[in-house]
Amino acid sequence: MEELIEKLKGQLIEELNLEEVTPADIDAEAPLFGDGGLGLDSIDALEIILILERNYGIKIENPAQGKEIFYSVKTLAEYITKNQK
Amino acid sequence: MSTYITADCIISPLGIGTKQNLKAMEQCRSGIALQTNQLVADTEIMASVFANATNIDGYTKLESLIFSAIDNVVATSGISLTDKHTAVILSTTKGNVELLAQSTTCINPKAYLWNVAQTIDEHYHLANQTIVLSNACISGVSAMVVAKRLIDAGDFDSVVVVGADVLSHFITSGFLSFKSLSANRCLPFDARRNGLNLGEACGALVVSNRKTQGSICLRGGAISNDANHISGPSRTGYELNLAIRQAMAEAKIDVADISFVDTHGTATVYNDEMESKAVGLAELANKPVQSLKPYFGHTLGASGVIEAIVCVNELKTGLLYGTLGFEQTGTPITLNVSAQHQTLPMNSCVKTASGFGGCNAAIVLSVNDGATAELEQTENEIIASVEISNGVVTKNGEQIFANSEADFATFIREAHKQLGEANMKFFKMDDMSKLGYVAAEVLLQGIAFEPEKMGIVLSNSASSIDTDLRHQELINAGDADASPAVFVYTLANVVIGEICIKHKIKGENTFFVSRNYNRQWLHHYAQIAMQKQQMNYCIVGWCNLQSNNYNAIFELVKK
Repeated sequence: MEELIEKLKGQLIEELNLEEVTPADIDAEAPLFGDGGLGLDSIDALEIILILERNYGIKIENPAQGKEIFYSVKTLAEYITKNQK
Repeated sequence: MSTYITADCIISPLGIGTKQNLKAMEQCRSGIALQTNQLVADTEIMASVFANATNIDGYTKLESLIFSAIDNVVATSGISLTDKHTAVILSTTKGNVELLAQSTTCINPKAYLWNVAQTIDEHYHLANQTIVLSNACISGVSAMVVAKRLIDAGDFDSVVVVGADVLSHFITSGFLSFKSLSANRCLPFDARRNGLNLGEACGALVVSNRKTQGSICLRGGAISNDANHISGPSRTGYELNLAIRQAMAEAKIDVADISFVDTHGTATVYNDEMESKAVGLAELANKPVQSLKPYFGHTLGASGVIEAIVCVNELKTGLLYGTLGFEQTGTPITLNVSAQHQTLPMNSCVKTASGFGGCNAAIVLSVNDGATAELEQTENEIIASVEISNGVVTKNGEQIFANSEADFATFIREAHKQLGEANMKFFKMDDMSKLGYVAAEVLLQGIAFEPEKMGIVLSNSASSIDTDLRHQELINAGDADASPAVFVYTLANVVIGEICIKHKIKGENTFFVSRNYNRQWLHHYAQIAMQKQQMNYCIVGWCNLQSNNYNAIFELVKK
């Protein structure tokens, strides 16, 4: 799990253009969206869906479904672990 | 001064000419069908696509459509395009963008929007250069607002507004990446709605200061910005409501005079939600409300024009077309939507549009004449100016930052850093938006204003070409490789959206494309816009970027 969390942090920084953010800056349990945290928005959510599809073979058709899954890096990692084929 | 719609022509998969289109609508026919031949998308999508369009020799599909529509309205209105009192405004989001698929290293010049304008100029030997307005999905309605304003200012007697967009993998892949397409025919305002359908079409109409038998009066128009998000609509609908109210105020029309509202109504969950709130705030929730998207799909730069043409004809005939498929309200504010056509006593209507970059536009059309207030002849007062080019940022003629870095990305990062502004979103913007964002940041330092009293009118020649190429390169391997974070910046006006979000600017916002910076004309237009929308300030400028060649010239003007 720890390994996956670190990998995800790197992928988020890369794919979401989080310039000047390092993996160490991201608290795995802090909210990704909204004020505070990384302040991600709806376009980032769509990009995270693509990260899951392309790197982990996981499809999320309805973006609204992502709310709980995308809460934090940790919830994301847990979802991937549970659903990866 | 009064302005009238004196000729109109819709060319869509439903038919050639307004008559054929209205006939199809009367019969509840839709142009939307399952596209299985992979011409416009890798996967099967529901869209309204021309089955067998024949191009005019030497011209693209888009250009051929534009010529057919212009020919039609010129013939029926009898105006002369070579007359210096006639202008043409082209409303398009992406022009001939499908040509980028040929090569992203050797760009076909026709892929530039200014080139489409030049093609029109040469084809008709126009007295005035075609004005290109590219402001996402409000382009068509905005073009009508601009046409009216230029006539009101006495610049022209007649303006041909032509709106056109065609579908290609470029466009469909982007919307697919946004997960905003429905697998079925779209259901605006319905509880079951789950996305939009794309469509292609071309519409042309003539706005004139001369009334003709039975012509409908274009009585008012306004444009606003949500200042909320570049792709997600306003949470409150306040800003679209603002545009509606300003358009009605210019038209001197009360709620009681409105017979119906023709919305943007794309059938995405969030768009329709926002629109219902806006219509409610404008106190129009009880009026018959329609969306024409189930007939034509979302035809982007053509949508505002062809839908306004339908409104014009509805006002003339008294027949209001139903919103096909509508069954049960699914918006926070319940609107008066009907699937069935109905006959109504007609007075006036409101037509709206909203789009990426947070933009909204509204016009008021009426069977009754109404003159709008005279414009004053005044000069803009220039408050501040900023220029960014060749590694140097100057404010009011003085150099405030310089960096010898040849690479734009490095230069603009350093320039932004020097501003001491910590906005994480900056790094997500495309290069053109970063350029405009930094220019506006420097320009507005120490300036206080009310959100609705400030507008932005920008122009450039390259539109969003760098980001268009990036998107094209991604999808060269397949539509599924599109990135929503890239695609959203394939609209030049998104730079205005970024500036509006940062500085809470909610007034007029319009993006023009021209080969060279026509500073004097843009200042002239900004002056008219400030008077029309009671704004005190406007940012006027040029924001152009193509492969490390960049130039921003921003001026803050006061009415």
